[in-house]
Amino acid sequence: MSIHPTDEVTDTVTGADIRLHFEVQRLYAVEAQLLDQHRYADWLELFAEDLHYWAPVRTNRLRRQQALADGAPGEVAIFDETKASLAWRIRRFDSGMAWAEDPPSRTRHLITNITVRAGEEAGEYVAESAFLCYRNRLEREVDLYAGGRTDVLRREPDDGRLLIARRTILLDQNVLLAKNISTFL
Amino acid sequence: MTSTPVRRPVDRLARVPEPAVDVGPYFDLDHGLVDRTIFGDPALYRQELRRVFAPSWLFLAHESQFVKPGDFFTTYMGEDPVIVTMGKDRRLRAFLNACRHRGMRVCRADAGATKAFTCSYHGWSYDTSGRLVNVPNGEDYPAHFDRDQWGLTEVAQLDTYKGLVFATWNPQAPPLVEALGGMTWYMDAMLDRDPEGTEVVGGVHKWVLEGNWKLAAEQFASDWYHVNISHASALMVMSPTGKGPKTEIVQTPGRQYTDPLGHGHGFPTHPKSRFDDRVVHGHYDYEALRERLGDARVEGPMTTGHATVFPNFSYLPVNGSIRVWHPKGPDRMEVWAWTLVDRSMPDEVKDAQRVYNLRTFGPTGIFEQDDGENWSEVQATAHGFVSGSMTLNYQMGLGLEAEDGVHPGTTGRLYSDGAARGFYARWRDLMNTPAWHEKDTR
Ligand code: FES
Ligand SMILES: [Fe+2]
Repeated sequence: MSIHPTDEVTDTVTGADIRLHFEVQRLYAVEAQLLDQHRYADWLELFAEDLHYWAPVRTNRLRRQQALADGAPGEVAIFDETKASLAWRIRRFDSGMAWAEDPPSRTRHLITNITVRAGEEAGEYVAESAFLCYRNRLEREVDLYAGGRTDVLRREPDDGRLLIARRTILLDQNVLLAKNISTFL
Repeated sequence: MTSTPVRRPVDRLARVPEPAVDVGPYFDLDHGLVDRTIFGDPALYRQELRRVFAPSWLFLAHESQFVKPGDFFTTYMGEDPVIVTMGKDRRLRAFLNACRHRGMRVCRADAGATKAFTCSYHGWSYDTSGRLVNVPNGEDYPAHFDRDQWGLTEVAQLDTYKGLVFATWNPQAPPLVEALGGMTWYMDAMLDRDPEGTEVVGGVHKWVLEGNWKLAAEQFASDWYHVNISHASALMVMSPTGKGPKTEIVQTPGRQYTDPLGHGHGFPTHPKSRFDDRVVHGHYDYEALRERLGDARVEGPMTTGHATVFPNFSYLPVNGSIRVWHPKGPDRMEVWAWTLVDRSMPDEVKDAQRVYNLRTFGPTGIFEQDDGENWSEVQATAHGFVSGSMTLNYQMGLGLEAEDGVHPGTTGRLYSDGAARGFYARWRDLMNTPAWHEKDTR
């Protein structure tokens, strides 16, 4: 008998699951708002101190070499960041001389298709989501960044907040179809 | 006026040559003047594909991308798609990535390993030396059909310089090392720091820019000038005080090399060379580098410089960024950028260089983001009749170029348009000279 995705929900979903899902969904909605309002320092507070924020490069590979299609750790990447290096990138925007964002772009981060499951460590969850980020810049520049994110979320012992401890971003493009990425995904 | 049909090496049928525009009037380089038309005109673009790109040595890849026979990498020479691959004899070859039957792209992967390139249209199959080895329904071809004559179209010459693979369609091009000319002394400040040579980190950054390829190539040859302004935010973040470029940086001394073959290299000069990343800096034994490459190179081109090998290969010695500006029409380029490291660096040093490079350069780099903004805006404002044909100023450093007695060849001040003038002099001369394929009347 085949399993339909809804079976799990109707048979086993608990109030705690719904609560967790809502919590993650709200976390991502708040995160998207902070990014779209260019409140990057506040955005950074959503991440754990030991953050790894990573967006590998995607390549076209023969079907039998598909395993190599997403860049491996240690290869050229779009982002390969720690919390400190993100802070460094953010300080640049505050300099008043970051011309790629002056005047600022208009962005809209849409986060959807969220699933959450228990992670490997106690108090950790793996959340997958899809994103679509629309950037409109100056008179008529438009860029679309679409892809998927896999986050490891960790519940802080002291205040119970969920922090993002790992993020892997798979951007669904080979040649990046934009002159840069001057926001975060 | 009648034109004589000519054959190109890739042609079996003769073809009528396209008319050529005399680009001389677009330049008065002795007075540092350039007409902006050269960046956006579609006819000039077609002409530069056949007279600048087709005859020149073009960068393809790094040798370290090919380890075993069958390893391949696909890229472009101008707008021509090519496959670079190592044959069973371990020789590197490059072919047009187009089936000889109907022109289908025979390899649609970016990189990988294969025994054969089999066309997915009708199944013609080529081995890694480019030979046509299988033709489905071969019995239906006429008796004079000779598979040996229908192998993949191979470049006329392929050669490497210290790990960098270049090729040209031009059988009459001088050998690679002659085409690089005096530039090799400068290139070695990046390519020859390590007796074991260089390699590239896995993966290539690829992104599009809405700007003519020359905007980027020219800037990397010649433009230190923009650094303090365009990259002010990045310099501020990187300065220990967090206060932005200090006068020492703005007034920094340095030289700019102009090669008669169109190459250029600008670099600050400093008695103490240093790499920006702390780990990479700590790795280098500067005394040994002085011994190996000489004081002039360690204190000059090994500092935070920028360079272009004519026409469209550029690099940053300190970041380890090497890149090619692929032309994609008069208004658009595609940037492909690799990260170069020394082979004998310990893994953690290689990784430090990789991460430093992607945080500063590449599509999210704190420097490169602002370069993208400049080039796309320069291109966007050139579409009007008046704005598109205005005369641009390339006068910085005019009359100040000389032999400086330290760096070989002609150099000028760091803040100069010298190498840009040299780049355009070379471009103009190639544009006004019929290429080998226009003269070939076999
Ligand atoms: S186009 Fe390649 S086999 Fe026909
Ligand atoms: Fe720049």
